[in-house]
Amino acid sequence: MLELKRALDAKGHCLLEMPSGTGKTTTLLSLIVAYMKAHPLDLTKLVYCSRTVPEIEKVMEELRKLMNYYEKEMGMEQNILGLALSSRKNLCIHPSVSKEREGKVVDGRCYSLTASFVRARHAADDAVPICEFYEGFDAHGKEFPLPPGVYNLDDLKEYGQMKRWCPYFLARHTITHANIVVYSYHYLLDPKIAEVVSKEISKTSVVVFDEAHNIDNVCIDSMSVKITKRLLDKCSNSITILETTISNMKENDSKRLEKEYKRLVEGLRDATIARETDMALVNPVLPSEILEEAVPGTIRTAEHFVAFLKRVVEYIKTRLRVQHVVQESPAGFLRDIHTKVCIDRKPLRFSAERLASLIRTLEISDLTDFSPLVTVSHFATLVSTYTKGFTIIIEPFEDRAPTVSNPILYFSCLDSSIAIKPVFNRFQTVVITSGTLSPLDMYPKILDFHPVIMTSFTMTLARPCILPMIVSKGNDQVAMSSRYETREDTAVIRNYGNLLVEVAAAVPDGIVCFFTSYLYLETIVSSWYDQGIIDQLQRHKLLFIETQDAAETSLALINYIKACDNGRGAVLLSVARGKVSEGIDFDHHLGRAVLMFGIPYVYTQSRILRARLEYLRDQFQIRENDFLTFDAMRHAAQCLGRCMRGKTDYGIMILADKRFSRADKRSKLPKWIQEHLKDTNCNLSTEECVQICKRWLRQMAQPFSREDQLGISLLTLEQLQSEEMQKKIQQRAQGV
Amino acid sequence: MADEDETKEYRWESGYEKTWEAIKEDDDGLLESNVADLVARAKRKRAALKDTGAIQLGMMRHLFVVVDASACMFLQDLKPTRFLCVLKLLEVFVHEFFDLNPISQLGILTTKMKRSEQITVLAGNQKKHIEALQQLKDLSCEGEPSLQNSLERAMNGLKNMPAYSSREILVLFGSLTTCDPGDIQKTIKSLKDNNIRVSIIGLAAEVRICQEIAKKTGGTYNVLIDDHHLKELILNQVQPPAVAGSMEASLVKMGFPGGSPIVNDGTSDSSADHAPAYCLCHIESETSSLMGPNGYNCPQCGSRYCELPVECKQCGLTLVSAPHLARSYHHLFPIKPFIERAQVRETTHCFACAKLFVEAETNVIIIVNFRLCLFYHSLPFLFLLKVYECENCNQIVCLDCDLFIRETLHTCPGCASDPVTAQMKTN
Repeated sequence: MLELKRALDAKGHCLLEMPSGTGKTTTLLSLIVAYMKAHPLDLTKLVYCSRTVPEIEKVMEELRKLMNYYEKEMGMEQNILGLALSSRKNLCIHPSVSKEREGKVVDGRCYSLTASFVRARHAADDAVPICEFYEGFDAHGKEFPLPPGVYNLDDLKEYGQMKRWCPYFLARHTITHANIVVYSYHYLLDPKIAEVVSKEISKTSVVVFDEAHNIDNVCIDSMSVKITKRLLDKCSNSITILETTISNMKENDSKRLEKEYKRLVEGLRDATIARETDMALVNPVLPSEILEEAVPGTIRTAEHFVAFLKRVVEYIKTRLRVQHVVQESPAGFLRDIHTKVCIDRKPLRFSAERLASLIRTLEISDLTDFSPLVTVSHFATLVSTYTKGFTIIIEPFEDRAPTVSNPILYFSCLDSSIAIKPVFNRFQTVVITSGTLSPLDMYPKILDFHPVIMTSFTMTLARPCILPMIVSKGNDQVAMSSRYETREDTAVIRNYGNLLVEVAAAVPDGIVCFFTSYLYLETIVSSWYDQGIIDQLQRHKLLFIETQDAAETSLALINYIKACDNGRGAVLLSVARGKVSEGIDFDHHLGRAVLMFGIPYVYTQSRILRARLEYLRDQFQIRENDFLTFDAMRHAAQCLGRCMRGKTDYGIMILADKRFSRADKRSKLPKWIQEHLKDTNCNLSTEECVQICKRWLRQMAQPFSREDQLGISLLTLEQLQSEEMQKKIQQRAQGV
Repeated sequence: MADEDETKEYRWESGYEKTWEAIKEDDDGLLESNVADLVARAKRKRAALKDTGAIQLGMMRHLFVVVDASACMFLQDLKPTRFLCVLKLLEVFVHEFFDLNPISQLGILTTKMKRSEQITVLAGNQKKHIEALQQLKDLSCEGEPSLQNSLERAMNGLKNMPAYSSREILVLFGSLTTCDPGDIQKTIKSLKDNNIRVSIIGLAAEVRICQEIAKKTGGTYNVLIDDHHLKELILNQVQPPAVAGSMEASLVKMGFPGGSPIVNDGTSDSSADHAPAYCLCHIESETSSLMGPNGYNCPQCGSRYCELPVECKQCGLTLVSAPHLARSYHHLFPIKPFIERAQVRETTHCFACAKLFVEAETNVIIIVNFRLCLFYHSLPFLFLLKVYECENCNQIVCLDCDLFIRETLHTCPGCASDPVTAQMKTN
């Protein structure tokens, strides 16, 4: 809290690592809310970005508790409005639209019911369907702001139902004057969405990125484009649709096209004005110099633009017809496109804007079909805008299946700072926090910002409730490692198997294992099957495996939880970086132990990764190895952190790889894990590890009540105020 | 437990024992010399906790003991094996159980190979149970246990027991997994509906389902640290638990056989008394002996028994002697927990053992004192001697006596020696 306050005072950015379950969210919320109350002018808004919908809901719950507490203590209604925002899919209350499963379809159908021209048409002809909720909101909702309070997604829906207002648009409208907004990263980082949703958030806001250990990847993903052949085929289809619509419109209503043309001549002046007055968040897709120019003549008329798009798509198609891997810079791509099909850089730049405008003019209500085309236009804009920090890689086939032709064009962003830069520039304080951010100094480098505060907190615990161990060898003293050279070694695989079997015999309920990749998981499981290890394992626990199929995995998860609940016990084999390792908590009995088989390095042969590594080395002076280790260790830490979700929880963390005990890996673990990782537990064999587990589990099983925590990790008000404790806190704060 | 030579393992076969880890230094580099003291304090805490809640105790108990006999019971982390260690302790338990709960009944089940077997039926004869336990030693442990099956079986046995008795199941569970045929939640629910209390002692680690069962049925769940702790945990179960929910009060028919058959008390006919008779407890066994003149006759049907308490084989009457009942009497009137206070200046001696208060704990304190004199102010709790005061008679005793009074004596010496309070109590 102290650190956070400093950052708020300094109006700078900060980076906080706090173990999960120690009240990270509550601390952040309560301090920022208090700050907002104390300095209403300096700090007007809190934007809390989390990863998934359940996490958003959790934040809202915390906020509600905080508000209730305020109300109880202060004895009056609090004038604070907090709300959560999610996609239409989660907020829609339209009877038929909300039945749709896929987010894109919901978006598309919503658009087809609420777009301005549809409503205009409805005014003329009652047969055109519209959304009554949106109408309700449009008619009344804008004048009446939401009464203060805390609204999670369900509350919004309920409120919407009651008033017959669309909760999604209500929430979006309310964002501008709400004090606390909780939503997903993408609303802020993804330039396409950010522009729509977040541009009016005022400058004096605090932005919190929770669970932000992967923030650089989110940034990169939001700026990267992947084009496959299927996508291009779809593009061609939509272009023909566009063509026919245009020709139709020309016959019927040529005036509209003319109007659009004129508007384009005037350029995107409004946007410039908006940006100058500091109203909007800078959109990195649309650099400011473009705004000052008018849309170039070559693509001003609709037909010309469609022809232009066709050319672009055809050009990309020819490029995909390569037989070998091509990697080039955006500049090279531009030169090539100029010589081959005579397309200049400038019109390319405007293609995204132009396409959006065209779709608007043509009154195409079903946007879903056009998403491939939109992707291509974004690609065109990006490639022509940025010459640095991006690379284009065309792969004719996948590495795993070199005979199957499956050409893909990757336009990948190498610099994660591009997407997040506007956020850092615009908001006075950005807080990046997670349970596992170590090593902290890497984040400022790769995100290119200067934090005023950078701290890693540890847990104060009444008992040693995590037991991290590094198991480096099996009972036969053969070193365990997932190193490439020893990967196929049966002795290593057998040792891993034995380790799992023995741990499964000693640890109750649920065990989660993480492998470095799906491929590795499959090979190991198949050879375990041959060696009879699977049989041994099933005597103790049931076995579940995560696959790449999301539905299958969630089914496995449900059954895993069931097996843990009714006492049979279960082992879940999953993959670091997979769905399980991110966002699914294995608290209490669901994860009594986590095993990490090998160090989860990324697939180093990937060309995108190599390009990124090169870029990082050239631009930020980060050595390849440093980054790889950093990336591997943060994922390992993330996996380990899965089992520990609170102070009453306990869990074993086993790192089964010889290389973990090296200083460069160990020191990159989060501080709260390192603190418990004793030197004696760093180079264990399977047997020693199991012995330690057994003893520790017995200790942990002893009754643990609230009173035991009191005075150590839980303080009463008197204790907190006592001088002794104050001193202790001071000391700890300085020690950090 | 060291007499089984053939089961004794070689040193290198046993697990790693890091004996040096038992001796721990605390933050200030001190050895934990006051461990024993801490243990005693913890004990007292437990005793106090148990005492405060109890208002009505179930004196008549029907208890099934479920012993895990799955493969994991062959592990040697308890010496010589978990199974043998548990059986040995159970013998002690059975003995103590009938000692403290003379009018209760007990049955033994085992579970292995996903099934559950009945070893002894619910009965009040401790000899039988102990014999059965001794025979169990040769049982081979294999397969997985099934919690559900054994709970169901125990439940079937307990279901028909009278409502005034306390129905309990004690599970000694070594495995970390359970192989059940159906949904265990249903079993838990019906256990709860039948007012059966399930207490579980885990031998390895905390298993969620056990925790849940114990919590839902109002029992306790504990996991041992070592064999001493296990003994303590098992013996904790000897004390009758507080009555859960509504238990109807009713009259129980009991027989009090005459002490010596020579005295003709009119319940049985005199000619039968003098004839040599077999005792019914031993009539089935080969070595049945003719009973001497000392025996007990059932006042209802006249069957003879060599020992009390017992349930009459002929007419099913519970036969007890008056001292047995008297012994379980103290459960009904537990002494109130003593109040812990800092040492009072005026009283320097323990009322019960008449020792100086300082003596008992000086050893500890002197060691600590030298090393810690610098930290004196920061750690005041170490130096404040705790004494215990009875609420009624205001006498002050030391920690050792407090434990003794609570666990063995069951009556406060202060109150008993004070004629006024003693009078009040008997009234």
